[in-house]
Amino acid sequence: MTTTVAGVGVGVRDLVTRNVRQSGIFVAFIAIVALFSVLNSDFLSPGNLTNIVLQYSYVLILATGMLMVIVLGQIDLSVGSVVALTGAVAAEVVIKGHAPWYVGVLSALVVGFLVGCWQGFWVASVGIPGFIVTLAGMLLFRGLTYIVLNNISLSPFNGTYYGIANGFLNGLFGGYGIDTFTVVIFAIAVVGYAVSQWRTRRGRIAYQQVVESMPLFVAKIVVVAAVVMWFGSQLARSRGLPIVLILLAVLIIAYSIVMQKSVFGRHIYAIGGNLNAAQLSGVKVRKVTFWTFVNMGVLASVAGVVFSARTNGAQPGAGNMFELDAIAACFIGGASTTGGVGRVTGAMVGGLIMAVLANGMQLMGVGQAVQQVVKGIVLLLAVAFDIWNRRRAEATR
Amino acid sequence: MNERGGAPLLSMRQISKRFGAVEALSGVDFEVRAHEVVALVGDNGAGKSTLARMVSGVLQPDAGIIEIEGQQVSISSPSVAHEMRIATVFQDLALADNLDVTANLFLGHELRENGMLQDGRMEQITRDVLAKLASRIPSVRTPLSALSAGQRQSVAIARTLIGDPRLVVLDEPTAALSAVQTAEVLTHIERLRDLGLGVILISHNMTDVRAVSDRIEVLRHGRNNGSFDASRTSFEEILAAITGATHVEPGLRSVG
Repeated sequence: MTTTVAGVGVGVRDLVTRNVRQSGIFVAFIAIVALFSVLNSDFLSPGNLTNIVLQYSYVLILATGMLMVIVLGQIDLSVGSVVALTGAVAAEVVIKGHAPWYVGVLSALVVGFLVGCWQGFWVASVGIPGFIVTLAGMLLFRGLTYIVLNNISLSPFNGTYYGIANGFLNGLFGGYGIDTFTVVIFAIAVVGYAVSQWRTRRGRIAYQQVVESMPLFVAKIVVVAAVVMWFGSQLARSRGLPIVLILLAVLIIAYSIVMQKSVFGRHIYAIGGNLNAAQLSGVKVRKVTFWTFVNMGVLASVAGVVFSARTNGAQPGAGNMFELDAIAACFIGGASTTGGVGRVTGAMVGGLIMAVLANGMQLMGVGQAVQQVVKGIVLLLAVAFDIWNRRRAEATR
Repeated sequence: MNERGGAPLLSMRQISKRFGAVEALSGVDFEVRAHEVVALVGDNGAGKSTLARMVSGVLQPDAGIIEIEGQQVSISSPSVAHEMRIATVFQDLALADNLDVTANLFLGHELRENGMLQDGRMEQITRDVLAKLASRIPSVRTPLSALSAGQRQSVAIARTLIGDPRLVVLDEPTAALSAVQTAEVLTHIERLRDLGLGVILISHNMTDVRAVSDRIEVLRHGRNNGSFDASRTSFEEILAAITGATHVEPGLRSVG
């Protein structure tokens, strides 16, 4: 057992070995990005980075909710179908019904909420495993999508609805060749990050916890700030700040807080860690399970809106296999297959790894078939690494 | 403090419970006072855990009366038990390995402000409680998976002190512990008594039982089979009551 002394500095090596799992994903992510940027000069170009954000935003939105479901010890196989269904409903309302864009968004969210209630009821109240309920949901909601759309595609949305996934905030502060507004937003984000890290560090010292040594801490902040600012300036050079990215950032921050700081999040971890203990301790297991599925349904509808806006229409086959991308993102990002372990930020990095892999291979002209093979192997290796790492931790206990 | 003479902290009268065809408890009487460690002993299947689980709100009796400080109550769930300031350490510990010490201590009863956790305050209280029990836990942020069996047991006992309980139920707290760890847990139990709590201790281990308890209640086949003053009773007498070599009529029970 390590003893803790106030303000003790911990070196790079300790930091890495202490948290192999987390740092492992980041290292893998950086390695993949580095590899593709060497292989293809366009990979890190402003246009392509913007593209990655737009192309994979919906998988990241789904992964946020999926992470919560997985930490709870459940799984949701229906999200791809829910994306299709909610997109279809929005299309019916906006394209066929000529309603304003926000009515379309709202009706999609309501449908997502109802889907979540439906699945939450069967899992939480009836006690059917989430795997079965959402497998049924996958078929059910796909079928409903075909019925809603009458077996045909609907397009185009155009206008504001189209802008949700394809719009940019730029030109607010002007700038020549580079959008000042985007840069300012990223600068605010960096300062916010630095302040929150500093406060966490202060808190840990106050409670006599181990922290990194000061130079290492500063180096970490500087590196993160540099990467983020570079990313921001690349976006600013292209088309500015994608609206989807703002939405995504808000969701990530909000759900990180929910999982790490709220009672609800704590109970999700407890149920996934030891269902029996949670029950005996007075955690309202049914209620938490129910609302986790409702939340997943709503997030799936958000992804449905973003996806239908991006494709500028609704197709009966939309969102096929999205659930697998979202689940893979969580497991690559360090979620445990048995529940109780996983972080929103981890799932995001896991999702980005998938995104970067797909995008990089696309740029290099690698075919769909090989892409699938590579993604499959990456998922398998990530979970194998997780299991190996856990065994090692148990052995040193 | 509720001293002798007043209504007992917990009083259970003529408690019965059936699981299908099995009669787990029939007409059992049981009493605990403040400042008292009462051991509940008996062979496997004698009904010890069933009785304890009624006190912790996990099970409800089919018949009989439960009174807390003289008032008749119905302990319908673990949260109700918590509200009545009854805390339980379950046999299977009921801890979450993936959470840290603080999170486990407050599990189900987190201090909150608008739905947000008050981590700072909870850690402070955790540290105080562990100090009170003279527990040796390296840090309140250590995940449970990194603790030894004895440390986990002391976390489980420390848990009971959250929410200012008056009655603590310990179900086999020393099972699967080493000698040193057992000694540590017994010290914890004595501290609970010194803090003025009533303690129900369920154990198979007669040495432990005789070391810490004030009174020993024997159950056999779901019925009372003797009540003994721990300091004045021999090991053999208790064993005889457990195995059924002696049968003690409820009328002959004499306490203190």
